[in-house]
Amino acid sequence: MQVTSYGISDVGLKREGNEDSFSVEDSLGLYIVADGMGGHLAGEVASKISVEMINKVFRKWMEEDAGEEEIFGEPDSSLSRQGNYILGGIRLANRVVYELALEKKEFHGMGTTVVVLLITPSLIIVANVGDSRIYLVRDGEIERLSRDHSIVAEQVEMGMMTEEEAETSSLRHVLTRNLGSSEYVDPDIFELEPSNNDCFILCSDGLTDLVSDKELLEMTQNAEDPGALCKNFIDKVLKRGAHDNTTIISVLLTDVKRPGNGLFKKIGFFIEDIIISTQKTVKKIIR
Amino acid sequence: MARLILMFNKQVVKEYPLMKESVTIGRNDENTIQINNLAVSGYHARIDAAGNDYILTDLQSTNGTFINDKKVVSQKLSHGDNVIVGKHIILFVGTGQEAADGKLAGQKADLDKTMMLDTAKQKELLSRQKDPGQGSELTAKIGVVSFIEGADLGEIELRKKLTKIGKADTSEIRLSGLFMPATAATISRRPSGYVITSMGGKIKVNGETIKDSVALKDFDTIEVGKVKFQFYQRETEEKQG
Repeated sequence: MQVTSYGISDVGLKREGNEDSFSVEDSLGLYIVADGMGGHLAGEVASKISVEMINKVFRKWMEEDAGEEEIFGEPDSSLSRQGNYILGGIRLANRVVYELALEKKEFHGMGTTVVVLLITPSLIIVANVGDSRIYLVRDGEIERLSRDHSIVAEQVEMGMMTEEEAETSSLRHVLTRNLGSSEYVDPDIFELEPSNNDCFILCSDGLTDLVSDKELLEMTQNAEDPGALCKNFIDKVLKRGAHDNTTIISVLLTDVKRPGNGLFKKIGFFIEDIIISTQKTVKKIIR
Repeated sequence: MARLILMFNKQVVKEYPLMKESVTIGRNDENTIQINNLAVSGYHARIDAAGNDYILTDLQSTNGTFINDKKVVSQKLSHGDNVIVGKHIILFVGTGQEAADGKLAGQKADLDKTMMLDTAKQKELLSRQKDPGQGSELTAKIGVVSFIEGADLGEIELRKKLTKIGKADTSEIRLSGLFMPATAATISRRPSGYVITSMGGKIKVNGETIKDSVALKDFDTIEVGKVKFQFYQRETEEKQG
């Protein structure tokens, strides 16, 4: 499997500072975007700490091949071991930001969103808290692999509001979950298998506020590589006013090999088909 | 015009434009914002217009009035403030004009700025109050596969985020057969629902061989070699993760 990645962050045209943070760690297959909130550099601190924390503990647990009982908090049995590492990393980052916000007056009220993508040859893991997103473009379709933790998104899920209403609602920036505002956090984590030509996009709401899912898909299909794609996204956002910080990571998977792909599989299918059709014929004769 | 948005359990109950000079909040019918909940006092709090600002005042309520995480007696409201009254949150939403006025007055108000709904604090406050809960949790659904032919496995709940189907010992759904691959297919649970992906086995969904992945709908019939099963979702008491 070949992995090509690119990450970029832009302060935009309206904000003085950049409260977003991101990391691209090809050696780990780990990609993170965080969008901080809270005044006087606090947002920047929250997002930066979270990204570093998740990176560090994930690397440590991988190197130690840590058991699920060694991670931070109760393991989740619906997840793989690496899924639990990411869960533990997010929980730990939340706790650190939370404690710091309580401790230091200047950090009071700080918080951050986070989206995490892990790529391994056999497994893809995505996790999120808040309204930063992760998209997968596969087979000409775009799919959201994150769930927005905002009032409007929850109302859309409950069928109380349409997607269109949500996009223009004055409540669209009100989060229901983030890192740092409470002692415990409940991230959404999903696991899936890699497929050839999968393209992942991780981003802060600076991108998704101004560029629709449909446009994201078209631009992804027309881009030459993740680097060009990220730059095109930033150009688009700047043209549309860039009222917020925008951070984007794009990861493209090529040369993905699935087990059993090859000649044997084809022959296997062929023989299997013969056996099944023979069995059906036999059943018919017996009747 | 500024607005107040009354919310309960993260759901919007009602929106109130701030039309009048003074708005009252409480359990009594005569209040502008009437909240029928035992944690709320008869006359709990009041919001008064003062120039371009709005001032919240607690009317010596039993359980107190909170702005974000702070118990208040009287305080000016800022855009995005969560006013917590018993189990209800009242979100104060300023307008573009007020945001601009606020900036002139040296305040920072920005409609595009991300805010955090203070549910954690709300929960903590709730745990201190003795009003019996009237929570209405969303019922979560879980995917189930029900075996029809080729394997005597009954029904299996898809409890993992990624369920592997195949001959390998590590498969959540173990199938046998001469041509059954180690992993024939996987079913992943995604924000949009369940998706089946062929991993090296010939997979048919409703009689059609799938190329790569396909989203599963209730009562789709899936064939993995000779094994046939049906997919559906049912309600579960457990929280969806």
